[in-house]
Amino acid sequence: MSNMDRRTLVRGSLAAMMAGAAFSRAAFAQSSEPILLGVSGPLTGPNAQYGTQWKQGFDLALDEIQAAGGINGRKLAYSFEDSQSDPRQSVAIAQKFVSDSRIVMELGDFSSPASMAASPIYQRGGLVQFGFTNSHPDFTKGGDFMWSTSVSQADEQPLLAQYAVKRLGLKKLAVLHLNTDWGRTSRDYFVKAAKEYGADVAITEGYIAEERDFRSTLVRVRDANPDGLILISYYSDGALIARQARQVGLKQTICAASSVYSPKFLELGGEAVEDVHLGTRYFPEDPRPEVQKFIAGFKKKYNGQEPDAFNAYAYDAMNMAAAVVKIGGTDRRAIRDAFPKVKDVSSVIFGTATFDVETRRVKGAMNAELVVRKGQFALWDGKPT
Amino acid sequence: MASWLDYTINGLIVGNVYALVAVGLALIFGVSRLINFAQGSIYLVGAYIGWVAVVQLHTPLPLTIVVVAVAAALVGLIIERLGLRPLQNSARIAPLLATIGISFVLDQLVMLTFSPNPRALPSQLPDVRFQVGNGTIGLLDLLIAGVGLTSALLLFVFLRYSKLGWAVRATAQDRDAAMQMGVDVNRVNQAVFGIAAALGGVSGMLVGMYYNQIDTAMSLQATLKGVVAEVVGGAGNVPGAVVGSLLLGLVESYGVAVFGTSYRNLFAFLLLVLVLVLRPNGLFASARQAPPEPLTGTFIAPSRPLRIPRWALAVAVGGFAILPLFPVSFYVLQTLINAWLLGMLALSLTLVAGTIGQVSLGHAALLAIGAYTSALLSLSLSVPVGLAVIAGGLMSAALGTTLISPSFRLRGHYVSIATLAIGEIVSLVILNWESVTRGPIGISGIPPLSLFGYDLISASSVYWFSFAVMVVLALLQGRLLTSHLGRSFRAIRDDDIAARAYGLSLNRYKSLAFIFGGFAAGVSGAIAAHLYSYINHETFNTQQSILALTVVILGGLGNVVGAILGSVALVGLPEVFRIAAEYRILIYGIVLLLLVRFRPQGLLGTI
Amino acid sequence: MAEQNAPMLSVRGLTRRFGGLTAVDAIDLDLARGELVSIIGPNGAGKTTLFNLVTGHDRPDAGEVRLEGRDITGLLPETLAGQGIARTFQLGRVFGNLSVMDNVLIGAHTRLRAVKPAVPVIGPLLELGLALLRPASVRAEEERLREEVKVILARFGERLLPRIDQPAYSLSYANRRRVEIARALALKPRLLLLDEPTAGMNPTETAEMQALVAELKAEGLTILLIEHKLEMVMRLSDRVMVMDEGKKIAEGLGEDVRNDPKVIEAYLGHGLSRSEDEQETAA
Repeated sequence: MSNMDRRTLVRGSLAAMMAGAAFSRAAFAQSSEPILLGVSGPLTGPNAQYGTQWKQGFDLALDEIQAAGGINGRKLAYSFEDSQSDPRQSVAIAQKFVSDSRIVMELGDFSSPASMAASPIYQRGGLVQFGFTNSHPDFTKGGDFMWSTSVSQADEQPLLAQYAVKRLGLKKLAVLHLNTDWGRTSRDYFVKAAKEYGADVAITEGYIAEERDFRSTLVRVRDANPDGLILISYYSDGALIARQARQVGLKQTICAASSVYSPKFLELGGEAVEDVHLGTRYFPEDPRPEVQKFIAGFKKKYNGQEPDAFNAYAYDAMNMAAAVVKIGGTDRRAIRDAFPKVKDVSSVIFGTATFDVETRRVKGAMNAELVVRKGQFALWDGKPT
Repeated sequence: MASWLDYTINGLIVGNVYALVAVGLALIFGVSRLINFAQGSIYLVGAYIGWVAVVQLHTPLPLTIVVVAVAAALVGLIIERLGLRPLQNSARIAPLLATIGISFVLDQLVMLTFSPNPRALPSQLPDVRFQVGNGTIGLLDLLIAGVGLTSALLLFVFLRYSKLGWAVRATAQDRDAAMQMGVDVNRVNQAVFGIAAALGGVSGMLVGMYYNQIDTAMSLQATLKGVVAEVVGGAGNVPGAVVGSLLLGLVESYGVAVFGTSYRNLFAFLLLVLVLVLRPNGLFASARQAPPEPLTGTFIAPSRPLRIPRWALAVAVGGFAILPLFPVSFYVLQTLINAWLLGMLALSLTLVAGTIGQVSLGHAALLAIGAYTSALLSLSLSVPVGLAVIAGGLMSAALGTTLISPSFRLRGHYVSIATLAIGEIVSLVILNWESVTRGPIGISGIPPLSLFGYDLISASSVYWFSFAVMVVLALLQGRLLTSHLGRSFRAIRDDDIAARAYGLSLNRYKSLAFIFGGFAAGVSGAIAAHLYSYINHETFNTQQSILALTVVILGGLGNVVGAILGSVALVGLPEVFRIAAEYRILIYGIVLLLLVRFRPQGLLGTI
Repeated sequence: MAEQNAPMLSVRGLTRRFGGLTAVDAIDLDLARGELVSIIGPNGAGKTTLFNLVTGHDRPDAGEVRLEGRDITGLLPETLAGQGIARTFQLGRVFGNLSVMDNVLIGAHTRLRAVKPAVPVIGPLLELGLALLRPASVRAEEERLREEVKVILARFGERLLPRIDQPAYSLSYANRRRVEIARALALKPRLLLLDEPTAGMNPTETAEMQALVAELKAEGLTILLIEHKLEMVMRLSDRVMVMDEGKKIAEGLGEDVRNDPKVIEAYLGHGLSRSEDEQETAA
């Protein structure tokens, strides 16, 4: 960072702090209006399920934030605009949020095309775009208003490779991945790490998100003769692959990325996902208080439903937003400048989250090595399957 | 060797799944000459009714099947009565659009009722599996095959030997003649929709059980694959649909075997295009059989266009031109920028679909070609953005026309299906041709729009730029329509046989229409690429193509002003309905249905 | 190539089969310049199929077609239009959404020169460019053709001229048939094929049409006519060819053919023929 930049930054943040302080005191007394965050995400269209899961995570976090007195006495709230994860709509939403002076920062969008199309508008409009599921390596390169808590695949995939190669002892791998920017980036990081750990990657197969039938793909996999299958999948396609793998007679160990971590994976996969290994960022028996609070709170709020990874991402994102707004106040630039200042925010995914100023991402996601046993996620006991 | 047996079995298994949808589609096409884009939605509805029966009511399998069949048949009857029967005497494009509208409505209703989360639909059959080759097949595979084959056989027998079946076939051959001979055509249609819907519902349920998973996205995929299988087998041919489905399954499976998973759909759609080009009536029709579309131009309704006085247009253009000078929010400007970009696409589509009658469902491919060309030229070769955008338009004109040219000899619905396939093919090539397109990672960091060295970044400057480009394209297109080409295009649309008799070469004039239209669409895609700064293979998708077609119908086919008006309406309305959040696609579907029903010629009329 | 003395149209052994049915069975036919030949025969005799084969809308299974001595068998309809063959259609095929003026202008399409330069490969692109730019030569050509169209329409008296800007779908049935014939005339054909030009017309309209065809013949146009109204056939034709079940069963002067027992049998054998049928209703 150049001197010039640092000076501006310091001056900016000083001003922001002062403004923030003054503002919050004033707000305390007079404003009952909530502090408003904009959310751009899919509520309809092919990715609608993820928007719904976001809402659950957000609402739970907000309940807790409100119960704890809100942000310096003011409530925190969000305005969710349905983008269908379509770039045309996300850019319009971006302009809407940028023009709406009540919005102090933005969360989303879900997919990289939708998020990154909107980035130039947020950057120029000076509104933070907090893309908490955007793992695309170029997302935060869009400008200094782009921040993300999405676990970097550069961090996650070596952990998965370590689990598969070092811990499970797999030597010859077949990698199946969603052929999206996320799946592709993940695959590349995984393959690189797995090779470094000394495994051989016999075959990689990319499939499109709408795919339902994997039997022929799995025959290809079988012919490559691997001793383990790596799934870089979401829970629905991961469950389908696991089921069909058993049907075509593949009995190899399956090891999946954390994105399959969802009760739905167990429900959709049934017996076929028994003994599937997966790395996750948290798991129910994790004694960490933030995890226990999240899971207990979630189950209480949603009739006993188990939370999944996307619920957790959203929950963390809202808590992070609250922490940032607490420091930055309601000034948009001050909020941007507050991101590097938040330290050790309690997080389900990271334990404690602190941003790396260079990459504008968070490093050091938690890692738990799980396996499905008797239809439940359990911590792996080190026994081979 | 053993693997090939496995690939074959897998191909047949998935072909079985396609057959369940294709048979229903074939039955409906056989009678009403209609490709029912709502068949996948009935399949979806069946799957969720099955879920309610199995998971909530714990019905045994035979009862589940009956419940689903009856409920789905009811849905089919309602669709026929409310959605399609009122359109009997309108242009043939109307019911096609109505089925698209119906599918929006049904999919959204299911999503709102059951939430978009996928659900498990446990199979009610014992998990007995048989070893075949190195893999296994289960009872459910056999049940699906059984249902597919028996229903095809039953339908075949029904059509051949029963009185109602005779009436169905008579209606399929010649509706008017059948009516004169005392066939109650409405009753026939009801019977057909009821049967097809029952079959569709049961298949959705069975396929849901097969994968132990149902979700709202399954509808569109089912329709797509079903349509491909049906057309391959010969539209309207019930046994052909089964064979077409199995063939499609095999081609996909072997495609995966040889080239890998991400090429799978590429083979499905290439098979479709190949069949359409070589044997447009399907594999089992005789090559020289007359084309199945009507011989006179009744695909598009005659209408008298609404003439808008020039001064009014000038005032409107002037008004929109000075809009950014007023204190309007950037959100309004951005929404209008979207409208202008969609407007360029709609201009392109209204020319090829409206003026020359090639109803394209793959128009987003032209956007993608323009966008990638311009993005790559400006990024890799540092071509100035202004020039790159023009190059994008030219590339889209050239490449798009070349790709679509195999469909020039087709008519009516077949053009739509071929272009749909070509659109998918372009998207899949972009996904797989990584060395050029960067595959799924997409292209990021695309430079912003610029003109003569000045970056156009502010909302107003982008607004003015896109508005100016659209107005210029619209003026050019208006000029084209008043030239001899305009009347030649329209003559080909109204009656291509008579047009050929007067020396109009279909290839030549359809090419010219696609060249001109391709340029406009390519420019639109290119501008979008520089505006978004990031594109990938999903940025320009089928939904975009369908949206553009809706715009064109809304504005009036071939109508330049209508295309722009339609774009403003269809970009604006969903924004207005934002307040309705989850309900807005439902509202959109209903608006589309009402439009097709009450103003099929569009707001401003066909030109 | 084109021989001066070759007949305008010469058909030899022309055959077209549909499955088991031979729709046109080894037909021979010659048409001299300026001659008007009528083809009659019961429904399903193969008359329209023969037209389709001559005009390129269908390809024969055997036989050949020559235009002024040149082999044109199996050429595309758009090519044949360029060589001066114009036709009308049995069921009427006007361009419904086009105005009367535009319908007839399409007839003159093959005569466009200024806007359709005969340059290989880039010709179509030049055509697009010229259509948009419209230099003086193109404007003049268009203007000239429009004037020509008005002259052609004037041949139909006040039937079409007042409706020149109306879309064709709004016209009466008889007027649509007139538009079709006007469109064919705009091509300036060397050979005109008329497929039942008076179908569905009342006696007055039929008489008008008959007068028009007679006029065209007097102007030296070579005409092949399919017609059911025997009265008109007898008045106009130089020769008459009779078809039944794809075969030529008689050919010659009108009176001779009319009294040919084979012809009578063909008509009677098929029950009440449509020509009598129609004449009754028309009367």
